[in-house]
Amino acid sequence: MNVPIRMIGIATTFLWIFLVAFLASAVYSFKDLKFDFGLPQMSVTLDNKLLFSLNINIVNNGYYSMDSFNVTTEILDVDGFVVTRGLTFIPTIKKGENTTIFNNATFGVDDLLQINRNYLFDDSELRAAVYAGVRIAELIPVEVSTNLSLPWGAPFYNLIMGQPERVEFNETHFRIAMAISFENHAFFNLTGNVQAQMYSGAGLRVGDGHTVIEAPQHSFYHGYVDIYVPKIELTRGSRFEVYFLTPFFDYGPLVVPYG
Amino acid sequence: MVDEKNDFKTNLRKIVFRALKGTIKGVLFYALYLVLFRFLVPIPDIVPGFQQAIETFVMIYVFLIIADGLTSGTIFHHFFNATRALFVIGYLIFSLKGGILGVPFQNVNLTVDLRLFLTIAIFLSFLGFAKSVLQAINYLNEKSERGGI
Repeated sequence: MNVPIRMIGIATTFLWIFLVAFLASAVYSFKDLKFDFGLPQMSVTLDNKLLFSLNINIVNNGYYSMDSFNVTTEILDVDGFVVTRGLTFIPTIKKGENTTIFNNATFGVDDLLQINRNYLFDDSELRAAVYAGVRIAELIPVEVSTNLSLPWGAPFYNLIMGQPERVEFNETHFRIAMAISFENHAFFNLTGNVQAQMYSGAGLRVGDGHTVIEAPQHSFYHGYVDIYVPKIELTRGSRFEVYFLTPFFDYGPLVVPYG
Repeated sequence: MVDEKNDFKTNLRKIVFRALKGTIKGVLFYALYLVLFRFLVPIPDIVPGFQQAIETFVMIYVFLIIADGLTSGTIFHHFFNATRALFVIGYLIFSLKGGILGVPFQNVNLTVDLRLFLTIAIFLSFLGFAKSVLQAINYLNEKSERGGI
């Protein structure tokens, strides 16, 4: 009976040595791994979506290859709703390899407005939750997670629809000019159309007008929408319905009472 | 009288030899720990309390090795061997928190999944425990064959 017991002992000892040596070398190898997270950046894609991008540089100078490297970014609003999610997967990072990963998450302003329309008018903050997972030494799963804060600038910050001013255009029509002003706090340039429709007290559409807006990022915009209305149709209890049409989003109607 | 003196001398020599054997084993294990810990140097900076946990483990383990050496040739030797195996299982489960370690580090949460390592380590410890039980049975068997437990 002594020989089998000794064999069990020898086998166990060898397996322990192998296990501890592997774990120690994997941990030691971990110190030669360098993860360099770049600054998160927001930009605009060609199809007018907002792009969150994070680049990660990985230098694997350890003893082992890493596999199943994945980065997931979730963009969340202030209440924790997931606006979008971006996933990047790299099957293997071999030892001695230097890799740069770009993790992108795109979303439309429309997606954001579906959650809360105040993102158009109020500066706020979005949150990016970044999860990075990897199998060190192709065997030990490690996950790193962090939260980043992304300031959100409202494209129509401090939007003011001025009191419409009526002037006589000709014998039959009035010209009604409505002033519009706002500050574009967004990180993108805002171009588009503002369409205003005027309705009489009876609910009949009596006139419409539009203007082009061009507001570069962090600039102040001030303009007018001119509407030509037949004099006989201008009654008490009229109202304007204003629509904003931009490549990023459509918003409206914004109702402005008149008279 | 001479026989008694000789017996005492033999017993003393045996005890000193066992103590020496146990101490050497313990010192060797501690030396192994010191060498291996050099490989784990980055961890204590990231995981608070890691070094303390490892040192407590090594201290108890070295004590069990010395006790094991001292009681070599008796049934207690197998008892300490089995205790050591069970201690390793218990300590690993306790300190590795079931195999998933979460470490907050500045703004980053690091999670390491050591379940595979834990499973293998527990399996090996159980093998060690089984070996000790078999050794104890064998010891009792041999002792009874020689005529008295």
